[in-house]
Amino acid sequence: MAFGRKGRRGGRGLVKLGKKTDQDHELNYKDTEHLKKFITPQGQIMPRRRSGFSAQTQRKLKREVKRARHVGLLPFVG
Amino acid sequence: MERIYEGMYLLDNAVVREDWNAAKSIVTGILEKHGATIHSARRWDERRLTYPMNGKNRATFLLTYFNIPAENIPAMRREFDLNESVLRTMELLVDAIPAEETELASKETSEDFKVPTPPDDDHIEFVEEEDDDDYPRARRDDRRRDDDRPARDSEGDGEKKADAEKKADAPAADTETKSDEAVTASKED
Repeated sequence: MAFGRKGRRGGRGLVKLGKKTDQDHELNYKDTEHLKKFITPQGQIMPRRRSGFSAQTQRKLKREVKRARHVGLLPFVG
Repeated sequence: MERIYEGMYLLDNAVVREDWNAAKSIVTGILEKHGATIHSARRWDERRLTYPMNGKNRATFLLTYFNIPAENIPAMRREFDLNESVLRTMELLVDAIPAEETELASKETSEDFKVPTPPDDDHIEFVEEEDDDDYPRARRDDRRRDDDRPARDSEGDGEKKADAEKKADAPAADTETKSDEAVTASKED
C-alpha cells in the first residue's frame, strides 16, 4: 500500500541536497568528492527526490557514478 | 568528424615502482599498435581502490586522450584485458580534449617531473590460519558436549513415562469398575 506525501511528515521526500551550485557543478567520474554527496553510506545512488536534480542531471549522475565504480573510485557496496 | 576518446587505465603499482616511463609505454604502445594517435597521456593519480582488483588494493591511474579507428577498438580492449600490468581500462567518447589537459601532460615530459613512489600496501596478502593443534582443541574441549548433559533416559524421563502409563491405564480401570457395577445392579434386579 502506498502512502501519500501528506501522510509522511518530515519523511524521506523532504530533504534535497542538489542546490543550485550543485546543479551548475559539472558531474564527472573523476570528481569523486562531489559524487560522494549523492550516494548513500551504502554506496547507492540517491533518488531524485533526495538529490533534487532534474531528470537529465540525475541520468548524468547515474552514468558518472557507474563510471567511477568501474574504475574503483567509488564503491559498489558500502 | 574526428572522434576523440578519453582513456583511463589502472596500472599495477609494482610496475610503476620499477619505472614509470616503462609502465606508461605499456599503455601507449598498445594504443599505437592499434592505430591510435595519442594527444596526451599523463599520470592522473595514485589511489586506494574501493574494492580489490586482481588482488591489488591500490593502483596508478593513467589518463589519455587519443583518436583511434573505431574498428580497432575491440582488438585493443582485448589486448588490454590480456595484459596483467593493466588492472582495468575504460574508454569514453568525449566532445573535446579539456583545455588544461595538454598543459598538464606537458609538465610530465619535463625533466623536473618525478613520479611519487607508490605505497607498499597495494598487495593483498591472504593469510592462512595457522593450524595450531593445541589451542582449537582446548577451545573445543571447553565447549559443552552432549556427554556432559544429563542422559535423556534418566529418572526424570522415567517418571514421565510412568505417569503417562498410569494415565493410559486409569480410564480403562474406570470402565472396568463401571461395568462391574452394572453387572451387580442387573443381578440385584
